[in-house]
Amino acid sequence: MEPRSTPQHSDQDYDQMPIDFSFVLASSVHDMKNSLGMLLNTLSAMVEASPPKDAQQAKLFSTLEYEAARINGELVQLLSLYKMDEKTLAILIDEHHVIDIIEEQIARNYALLTSRDISVEVDCDSDLAWYFDSELLGGVLNNLVVNCARYCRERLLISASEDNGYLCISVADDGQGYPETMLLGPAPQASVSFNSGNTRLGLLFARKVLSLHKSKRGQGYMTIENGGPLGGGVLKLHLP
Amino acid sequence: MADLGFYKMHALIIDDFENFRGTLYKMLMDLGIGNVDSAASGEEALRYCKTRNYDLILCDNNLGKGKSGQQVLEELRSTDNPCAESLFILVSAESSKSIIMAAYDYEPDAYLAKPITPKALDQRLNRLFEQRSELKEVLAAQKAGDDALAIKLCNDLVAQGSRYTNSCQKILGQLYLKQNNLPAAEELYRTVLDNRELEWAQLGMVKTRLAQKDLLGAQQWLENILQSNPLCMKAYDLKAELFKLQNNTEGLQEVLQKATDLSPLSILRQQELGAVAQQNNDLLTAANALKRAVKLGEHSCFDKADVHSLFAQATIDLFSIDKELAKPLVRDAVACAVNMEDKFGKNNLRKAESLLLESQLQVCAGDQRRAQDALVSAQSALGSSKDESALPVQIEMVRALRLLGRTNEAQECLAELLHRYAANEQQLQKLDVLLDEPRSEKNKLMVAEINKKGIAHYNAKDFAAAADAFKTALQKLPNHVGLRLNYVQALIDKLKTGFDVSLSEKIQQTFTKTTAIISQQHPQFQRYRQLNDVYNSLVRAHEKQQRG
Repeated sequence: MEPRSTPQHSDQDYDQMPIDFSFVLASSVHDMKNSLGMLLNTLSAMVEASPPKDAQQAKLFSTLEYEAARINGELVQLLSLYKMDEKTLAILIDEHHVIDIIEEQIARNYALLTSRDISVEVDCDSDLAWYFDSELLGGVLNNLVVNCARYCRERLLISASEDNGYLCISVADDGQGYPETMLLGPAPQASVSFNSGNTRLGLLFARKVLSLHKSKRGQGYMTIENGGPLGGGVLKLHLP
Repeated sequence: MADLGFYKMHALIIDDFENFRGTLYKMLMDLGIGNVDSAASGEEALRYCKTRNYDLILCDNNLGKGKSGQQVLEELRSTDNPCAESLFILVSAESSKSIIMAAYDYEPDAYLAKPITPKALDQRLNRLFEQRSELKEVLAAQKAGDDALAIKLCNDLVAQGSRYTNSCQKILGQLYLKQNNLPAAEELYRTVLDNRELEWAQLGMVKTRLAQKDLLGAQQWLENILQSNPLCMKAYDLKAELFKLQNNTEGLQEVLQKATDLSPLSILRQQELGAVAQQNNDLLTAANALKRAVKLGEHSCFDKADVHSLFAQATIDLFSIDKELAKPLVRDAVACAVNMEDKFGKNNLRKAESLLLESQLQVCAGDQRRAQDALVSAQSALGSSKDESALPVQIEMVRALRLLGRTNEAQECLAELLHRYAANEQQLQKLDVLLDEPRSEKNKLMVAEINKKGIAHYNAKDFAAAADAFKTALQKLPNHVGLRLNYVQALIDKLKTGFDVSLSEKIQQTFTKTTAIISQQHPQFQRYRQLNDVYNSLVRAHEKQQRG
């Protein structure tokens, strides 16, 4: 009989081993993203096989899609933040047309916006070009659109223009505006609160992405105000 | 919106999930694309791409077993086929950054993140085809090889303030560099950089400096780029180019090591790392990089037979200096040697080479019977070819005979080869690898120069520099006893200045190899014994000190 091979680590070793939690989190986020991809695929196959019979069913399907897309967005942010922390997130700044990145986010969320009867206006010169990482900034803008779609009543205004050497993209809605605590300027990281039901991961992600955009002039930042052009809140992204 | 003629277009979807293919098919049909084909694997897709020109290819990056999306792209762009210029969109469930890091030279026209919605696809395709349509004449001129026309068209578009000025400038830079019009390239990149420090223009500047042979200038630009973005893989690739131009193989190995640590999935970088580490006589690094290169080659169009045989050889060489280090690689190396004919096509020379590598690796694995069997089969496959193309395999034969202890046969075989190529400098250079003293003029000269350089360092008591000098020659002349002893002597004198475990191991490895190639009749045998004694007493003194 062959002698039984001894395992390389005894269980005691595992007992003593510290857990690198950020690594565990990052790999499980990766798995979750794959599962979510399958879920979304299956969902769309299901909708195709048995199309919604009435408006109510259509609304149910759209809720499913919306929530799944929201989880997907959060997971993408989590992974990106992890990589930023590990310094393994490459940033790729090039010249892009601003209108493209705005229209892209509206297109991505077309189903959500129509199911909630939200009309989006865009005010941006179609030739306006600027310098940014389109994937990262697209992620930030996508979050903003999804978030506003939740809190606004029926209108959303996205405008972009050059302001004093910076590109300013502002997203305004006709909702109740941002809570007082958020208006106090750049929130410290500690404000990621699990009690309020909104972890503000999105804001943390946005601030990090903006700060990665640097030039001789300075770096990107974000401002939040109430009483915007549509009566609700306005969130502005400023990029050098 | 301009009519982009979707109805005339032919698209190809590549995804391993049937559901997803179905969803995308419907989306493309709804957008009015005339014809849509789908393939479940990269291999199937490449067969389709040989038969017709697709206007659009939508390819998932993760295709399960077989080729990845990136590998499909590489094969389409680097080989001659009707789809070399098709609009290629790489779809992926994760961020495109990790794919960009692994990519070498070939980039898709766009990345698209899952989940894909119909509106988002519509918007993206319109954008991409609008750009294509504006740049249509430029692309056609490039394809026809009329660079001058392409340059003129690009400049016209820039002058008109085209929406795609940024793309035109990128193309212009490439064309100027291709035409070796370096002042124009420099001016273009300067203009862009005056406005904003964009990475592609900085990289263009590096290429311009390299072409101008201004290596210092290139280096300064590279340091700038890597300081602001330490993950810029293209900067590492250009740094590797720079070291190649400087003939700095140690620096080259270092930068390739760094690049493969950051992004281990690029086959070309692993292949290069393996080759240069082998050249630097760093066999452990070489064997491991080559093992990864062989693995990555499984589905890649960049896989090469040479890389497979180099992996087997590096493992055999590593075994000759350190059995323990080589052990974990032997099994993979055997599999790699055995599969060579299946992978790269059958012919007698390849068959003989594969059997000879297998034979030596079986010695490493401790299976003498298989080693002998493989050698006998190799002898009959090789026959008695007198053709020059057979020489590398005949050299491998001498190595195998030696390793299997059939010294007389090895000697006869070598003598016959030396006789046949006595007047052929080129082939003698290859045969020198088997010899104690080189026969070719080039290598004789090299030994003389390196000895002179090494001994000068040695006399100046710079033992590390002396060792480095001798080491570089050893890869070309691994059986040169004099060089090897010079090398070991420099290492021992360095050890005398301060005991260091890894240095001691290096000396031990060199002795292991020397013991295997030196005979008692060798004129330097006495020197070998003396050096060995000095080393052993140093080790004993160190051990005593440790205990005491």
